[in-house]
Amino acid sequence: MSYLELHDVSKTYGDGIAQVHALQGVALSVDAGSLVAVMGASGSGKSTLLTIAGSLEDPTRGEVFVDGRPLSTLSRNGKARLRRQSIGYVFQDYNLLAGLSALENVSLPLELDGVAARKAQGVALEALEDFGLTDRASHFPDQLSGGERQRVAIARAVVGGRRLLLADEPSGALDSTNAEAVMRQILAACHRGMAAVVVTHDAQLASWADRVVFLRDGRIVDQTMPAQRPEAFLADLPNA
Amino acid sequence: MSVRHALLALLSEGPKYGLQLRQEFEARTGDVWPLNVGQVYTTLQRLERDGLVEADDTTEEGPQKGFHITEDGAAELAQWLRTPPDFSSPPRDELVIKVLVALGLPGVDIHDVVQVHRRYLVELMQQWTRLKEDESRFDLNFALVVDAELFRLDSLLRWLDTAEGRLKRAAAGVDAPLPQAGPLPKARRKVGNRS
Amino acid sequence: MSVGVLERPGTTGAPEPSGGVPARRAMVRWAWRLFRREWRQQLLILLLVVVAVAAVVVGSAVATNTPPPAGAGFGTAHDLATFNLSTPTAKSPSRSPAAVERQIALLRRRFGTVQVIENETLTVPGSTQTYQLRSQDPRGPYGGPMLQLLSGRSPRGPKEIAVTPGLASELNLQVGDTWSQGGKTVVGIVQNPQNLLDDFALVPPGQLQHPSQVTVLFDAPDSALKTLPAGLNVATVATAANHNLINPSTIVLALATVGMLLIALVSIGGFTVLAQRRLRALGMLESMGATDRNVRLVLEANGVIVGAVGALAGFAVGLAAWLAYRPYNEQSAHHLIAVFALPWKVIVPAMVLAVVATFFAAGYPARAVTRVPVVVALAGRPAPPRQIHRSLLPGVIALVLGFVFFSLSGAQRNGGGATWLIPGFVALVAGIILVSPFFLVLLARIGRRSPVAVRLPLRDMARYRARSGSALSAISVGVLIAVVVCAVAVARYSNAFDYVGPNLAPNELAVYTPPTGPTFGPSGESRPATPAPSVSSQQDTARAIASSVGARDVYALESPAAGLQNPSGSGRQWSGQIYVATPALLRAYGIDPSSIPSDVDVLSSRPGLAGSGVQLTYGGGIGGNGGGGSSLGPGGPGGPGGQGGTNPCPPGSCLAHPVVQAESRLPSGTSAPNTVITESALRRLHVAADSSLQGWMVEGANPITSAQITNARSVAASNDLSIESKNEAPASAEIVDWATVFAIALALGILAMSVGLLRSETASDLRTLTAAGASSRTRRSLTAVTAGGLAFLGALLGAVAAYVGLVGWYRSNPLEGGLSDLFDHVPWTNLFLIVIAMPLVAVLVGWVLAGRDPSGIATRPME
Repeated sequence: MSYLELHDVSKTYGDGIAQVHALQGVALSVDAGSLVAVMGASGSGKSTLLTIAGSLEDPTRGEVFVDGRPLSTLSRNGKARLRRQSIGYVFQDYNLLAGLSALENVSLPLELDGVAARKAQGVALEALEDFGLTDRASHFPDQLSGGERQRVAIARAVVGGRRLLLADEPSGALDSTNAEAVMRQILAACHRGMAAVVVTHDAQLASWADRVVFLRDGRIVDQTMPAQRPEAFLADLPNA
Repeated sequence: MSVRHALLALLSEGPKYGLQLRQEFEARTGDVWPLNVGQVYTTLQRLERDGLVEADDTTEEGPQKGFHITEDGAAELAQWLRTPPDFSSPPRDELVIKVLVALGLPGVDIHDVVQVHRRYLVELMQQWTRLKEDESRFDLNFALVVDAELFRLDSLLRWLDTAEGRLKRAAAGVDAPLPQAGPLPKARRKVGNRS
Repeated sequence: MSVGVLERPGTTGAPEPSGGVPARRAMVRWAWRLFRREWRQQLLILLLVVVAVAAVVVGSAVATNTPPPAGAGFGTAHDLATFNLSTPTAKSPSRSPAAVERQIALLRRRFGTVQVIENETLTVPGSTQTYQLRSQDPRGPYGGPMLQLLSGRSPRGPKEIAVTPGLASELNLQVGDTWSQGGKTVVGIVQNPQNLLDDFALVPPGQLQHPSQVTVLFDAPDSALKTLPAGLNVATVATAANHNLINPSTIVLALATVGMLLIALVSIGGFTVLAQRRLRALGMLESMGATDRNVRLVLEANGVIVGAVGALAGFAVGLAAWLAYRPYNEQSAHHLIAVFALPWKVIVPAMVLAVVATFFAAGYPARAVTRVPVVVALAGRPAPPRQIHRSLLPGVIALVLGFVFFSLSGAQRNGGGATWLIPGFVALVAGIILVSPFFLVLLARIGRRSPVAVRLPLRDMARYRARSGSALSAISVGVLIAVVVCAVAVARYSNAFDYVGPNLAPNELAVYTPPTGPTFGPSGESRPATPAPSVSSQQDTARAIASSVGARDVYALESPAAGLQNPSGSGRQWSGQIYVATPALLRAYGIDPSSIPSDVDVLSSRPGLAGSGVQLTYGGGIGGNGGGGSSLGPGGPGGPGGQGGTNPCPPGSCLAHPVVQAESRLPSGTSAPNTVITESALRRLHVAADSSLQGWMVEGANPITSAQITNARSVAASNDLSIESKNEAPASAEIVDWATVFAIALALGILAMSVGLLRSETASDLRTLTAAGASSRTRRSLTAVTAGGLAFLGALLGAVAAYVGLVGWYRSNPLEGGLSDLFDHVPWTNLFLIVIAMPLVAVLVGWVLAGRDPSGIATRPME
């Protein structure tokens, strides 16, 4: 079952001479449990793809289905509800609301969705526990390290049984060790049944994905084949 | 990969048998570089000849024969660890050559060529990354080897990205030669002219 | 394995789109945290609210507690009847004690519970000061609030007495001492908390042998009062209070409303900057699935929190200040003030208004924020300034509406214009707000060719008009109010016919013979009456008063049987008393009677009277000379019927063109003889015989103290005279100067707060400029131009809007002398100070204060 489907999605900014085609006829389907990475140079339309998939922007043409629901049929409030129930966002940096503790940040989408604060925080605490962040629950964003902030952000993006995780350069400002921890966490979320899309220009991040999609000038130009089993790969390695 | 110095390094930890040397070598490189027994013994004989290792007193041949490192051997190992590999002369990298050749050939879309290699490199990186997923078999040595491989592939990918960007700009005529260095325009009286 | 999967309460049903109560609670919680984290950025707004609410608390408490309490003299009773036993006057004819007993019995039969308080007026030996010997039951049903035991105990039986602290010190008595008459012992010190100047000696009920006055307290239904027998002298609390619509609390509340409007205007700018800083966080919130309503709620809740915290803190500060000031207030007001006798009806609405003001100020940028696309908000880029709305039309329409409302207000007679005045002010303020962007753009356009240090701030003001516009409007509103006050005061005070101002100079005291009208004051305070004394005994009393205040001069005030009137039936009519220019009067002011030309009819210190065409009426044709100077109100003696026409001036009883000579040596007070008719004129008109004695004018060598006034009042009262001393009516110059100071201080205060805010938003520009080599001169110039530009534009717009309203009012108001009244008396000096000098000061202050290191200015706060 695919949690995200883009059908012939195009997005154009501006008009006349300043017209920019950010996306042109993009088709993409992300199944439950799979992690798709979108690679491309800056300006290739990666981030636009993500904002359109996450209902933050409307496509100029085409249709987006999230969890089977076409976004074009949803009102502004309907999209907001979809975001808090089905979509989790992780941005490059500045993911957490200052002034709310890690726990409150994680429980916020649930509370926005009408879950009572006590119950929402219980669920959020479980999510933090799963990511080994229990001892950071009462810390405020400015008391967390960059890696911890990002991991709390992922916990917030997956809490409450979301379907779709969208990450835009989720490890942009982190060192490689923290970046790896972040990607492991996203992968873990996929193993639990979420569909995830990670937009990045970093091949090392993208290589965590089941499938890497290459975007150039707003079009999908290529994608990788499914990987071999590790044992088979090692056996095939030529001897040094 | 210098098997010679790898064996010296293993022996610097203490006397070892030939078979033991092979097993430890493979374990520490994360089974990425398999080694056959013949290779081990040829290398050991050369080391013995150069006076870098000595066989134990027992005359018993075969896998049970023990070796230990000499003072010369220890010195050689120390010297080797600190000698940088030869990076000064560019290796004849096949990828670079292929792209350069494709650039000159009529009827070949250079972007396609770049993309094919890019995809291949990413697929390779995915394979290496997948090895990291299984944390149970993931020890330090193996991790270092995998990282090295990922970074090597990553550097090639980045070169491809850069190359493609440069080709794109060249096609658009953006990369015109910089203007001749000369005196900067005279400073005007006003601080700036925002309009 | 699953991460925090949970049953959602409403995924399947039809949940509230905005997440219901939990979402709102989460938003309010975040807003509260934001307030705590970023209180520094909100400090200015917070301080504004605190100061405003504190001022309301102190101001209203002082204003409502300083006048005597409404029920003074009534205790807890609703009605009061007084009987004068020994010294009958026209009002309270003499009665025998038996007749009084019958009346009291009647009242008791009709209304059940009554309380009788008897007074006997005695004189302090060796002094002109009097006191009351009073019999009152301390446990009486109504009199409780009028009696308080300070020490000792209440007197019981015929051998005991209690005295007030004032009397105790006057007679040098202490508890335990013996009372000089009748061998009584002083057993306690008591006072009347409602009137600390009320000096009396208290004895138990029924102990007075010869009461001169009896007061009966009772509660009667309104309808029953009409059926009481005639001749019963009854007063009711309801008649005493509430007949003044413009009471202090209304004024304080009106001021508070204007203040909160200003706060709302100023804080819009602050909240806009805050919202801009929080743009990324708000975008984040939306990406998480918050609806527009949620986002608005965050900002609005933040505003409400700032308002509520400010209101509470302001209340606390104001309460502390009031508690510290209360003892002094009690001393000057001469009655006790309960600790929490605060006008809650003013304070609570003011606090609510503070919250409402910040709610709207915070909500204004919230609507703009929700219009910013999420993607743009997330990028943290400030939204490009919206296309500036250049049309003048809406603003001009609002100003025209203001003009019309003011005209309608002016056309209302008898004070009914207030209903139109409020929409008039609202329309003018709206007009200012709507036209200000146009002028900001205009200013930027004018400065297009100027050096960058001038051009840049002018353009920023035009680009970020949400911020500059709010500061501009706030300044304009302040200036609007000040200019209206100045212009009205100057025009009003320069009206020669209906003369207003301070009644007397501080060293003057007027002693009046008993007026012919009813004497029983609304306050219920009774005055002991004496049989109409002879002129000579009155004269003696006046001289006694004069000597007690150290007077330099005392002379009789004689009222001629002649008057003055405005020739025109429209406009304000003559008010104030005119007197005969007796030689004694003239000499008192250093005027030689022989120096006055014999053809001069009237001498006056009223400015402008000489050229006003005033007419002199006499004999049967007295038109304008109302009695007693109580004619400030509209619809004076000329009557509304005469509107637009002319007052009749029949030859033989009216002199159309009397010779009026300006005489600045005459006193200027409204109750003083500022206008006098010469004796030669009276002789010519044959009305001299009708002159009647009005009273005496006492000219002290020094300002008369309140103690002297108190004493003089009691001496006068005991001789059935009354006195008038300087009241608190302000002089024209006072009003105008205070209004000007108010406008300038307000404008500079607003600038101090908003210029920093405005410039902080463009601090990165400043950093760039500094990096590009701009000197501190440039920095100074940026701030100075911003401050000066806002100040000048704000003052100009405010002054223009004020005159738009004023012209509307004056052209239609029948009481005023038309537009000429307004334009003949323009307060040029004050306008110059507000519109020209104040912006120059702003430029100067901006220049001086902006020399700081740019790193301090340019540092962006952590997000």
